[in-house]
Amino acid sequence: MRVGSYEFKLAKRESLTGWRAASISILAIFVALILFSFIFIFAGINPLTAYSEIFDYAFRNQFGLPLTLNRFIFLLLCTCAFIVPYRAGLWNIGMTGQFYVGSLAAYGVLFVFGIGGASETNYSAWLLLPLMLIAAALGGAFLGSIAGFLKGRFNINEIVVTMMLNFITFWLVSFFIKEGGLFMNPGGRGESFELPNSLRAPVFMDVPFTIIIAIGAAVLLYYMFARTKFGYQIRAFGKNPDAASYAGISKFKIPFLVFVIGGALAGIAGYHYFAAVPGVYKIARNYGTFGDLAFYGIICGLISQGNPLAAIPIAFLFGGLSIGGRNVQGKLGMSFGVDFALLGVLMITLVAFQFFYRYKIVWTKVTKESLDVGISN
Amino acid sequence: MWEFLIRSLDASTIFTIAALGELIGQRSGILNVGIEGVMLFGATLGFITAQTTGSYLLGFLVGIAIGGFLGLLHGFFSITLGGDQVVSGMGIWILGFGLTTYIGSAYTGLLGLERIPSVLGLSPFFFVGIALVVITWFVLSKTSLGLRIRSVGENPAVAEVSGINVTRTRYLCVVVGGMLMGFAGAIYSLDYNPVWSYNFLMGWGFIALALVFFSMWNPFILLGGSLLFGTLWQLSFNPEMVLPGVLSRYIWRTVPFVITVGVLLLMATKWFRTRWGAAKPEALGQPYVKEG
Repeated sequence: MRVGSYEFKLAKRESLTGWRAASISILAIFVALILFSFIFIFAGINPLTAYSEIFDYAFRNQFGLPLTLNRFIFLLLCTCAFIVPYRAGLWNIGMTGQFYVGSLAAYGVLFVFGIGGASETNYSAWLLLPLMLIAAALGGAFLGSIAGFLKGRFNINEIVVTMMLNFITFWLVSFFIKEGGLFMNPGGRGESFELPNSLRAPVFMDVPFTIIIAIGAAVLLYYMFARTKFGYQIRAFGKNPDAASYAGISKFKIPFLVFVIGGALAGIAGYHYFAAVPGVYKIARNYGTFGDLAFYGIICGLISQGNPLAAIPIAFLFGGLSIGGRNVQGKLGMSFGVDFALLGVLMITLVAFQFFYRYKIVWTKVTKESLDVGISN
Repeated sequence: MWEFLIRSLDASTIFTIAALGELIGQRSGILNVGIEGVMLFGATLGFITAQTTGSYLLGFLVGIAIGGFLGLLHGFFSITLGGDQVVSGMGIWILGFGLTTYIGSAYTGLLGLERIPSVLGLSPFFFVGIALVVITWFVLSKTSLGLRIRSVGENPAVAEVSGINVTRTRYLCVVVGGMLMGFAGAIYSLDYNPVWSYNFLMGWGFIALALVFFSMWNPFILLGGSLLFGTLWQLSFNPEMVLPGVLSRYIWRTVPFVITVGVLLLMATKWFRTRWGAAKPEALGQPYVKEG
């Protein structure tokens, strides 16, 4: 394309530096927020007012900030659950289901110990808390392993399988907590029994210890991808599975293991949201909307380009945006789902920006001679 | 029992039309994993239009139009920009899920219009669905347009050399495909179950996606699969109409999804592949970049 005496051309990027990738990602978020301001304009609200409300509540308010941090832990775990298979070229969109099974497994421990529905227990928290956490991780890992196994052994599309598992587990949670299910709250409001007081997760300034697990997982994964043989094998498999298998990397082991790891992380998110976040301490009646928020993990994972360290600030930002969005919805009288609408707009903007990770626009001044010849290549 | 069969056929109509849209796109080599999002958009905007104007016709037109627009968007990302088709499809699904949740929630509740009259006891769209299957089959396998579409899906480079405009053919297919998906969504919210609630589709679009894989890209097998899944889906909604008191209704709701995984597993076995061969369009999911 020619504008004035400049020739604009698209050129494929040979390589992409970390900083360049980061600046594209930041630009994408910025553009999405500008696009999203139309939602506020249509609702008759000044976007600047709305955004200042969102950021104020999410990052500076004494009630909002703990909510943001709790959402951040959840998102970071879900993002890591997405990233591990993503680096192997596989799509885990089953964080939702793994999240559900993780929370069911955590409450399953209480059920097995016979303290379902009790408000106090004699069992030590030193015994039960680790057990709940491990059960949640194992539950999520089990669900992930189904998709990994089917992909590795039979090459079945993991997107369809993980999505099917999301729906299956969604109804399984209902089966357990509603209409006479094993984990039903005796109050009968369609939610699970409550966690005994003594088993509440230790919190520091309203933030449970799971924050250490989430950040620790992100750091460890970064180290794994950068420095270990296994991390290298995952990346090699992600670039080209056939070439990797010629080099002796198992076509079964990699898909299976990345889904096990991813599932375990999303399972821990299930423990976090329903057994560790202050004020919840049960599998809520509207668990579906929490589960659907796990899809933010896809966006965080894509925007951070599969880098677990980059995912930390992004998950924090998106955690704040979703909390602030929900708050502004109530405060300014908008209808339900502002945080979901933001999810959608961020996602589609990001898809458009994927282009710039692969191409760049170059422009050159057209010299006199080539204008005279008039032939363009 | 009779009522159950009728409802099953109505449900299968939605699967048929949505999956046909996907099938047309896939035959031209474009995979759209965002069917659920397109259907949500068609259903929600169709519902809002019909409720505010009182006109079913306008509702359906808006549903079809937004479907076509989203098909165009998917085409832009995956054909013009040459991006990853899975990423784009995911984007359309999440956009659909996120935005329709927000836009539709103000309209939560019943549609409140007189029901669309039935024909011979069935929804009129059942017959539309059958007709669309026959038309799609005819166009794809008996016309020169169909030959163009199939060759673009098998080997775009060769098609281009033999004078077929790959870009235009693929755009045509994704837009028509999107229109069918949007139409299917509108049928759901205007005829099958005229109520708007949070995330009401709960997997129709993803089952339709899986149906295309089952169908071996053949419209008639697709119709058979839709009938089977329409029945299963209806059974999962109203198990008491057929098998009262057997299993919890929540367990019934998982059945179509479990069976989908089971069928995918069956199709992946060596026995199935050697017997039925690979009918998959060769270039499915791969971006095509014109040389030069």
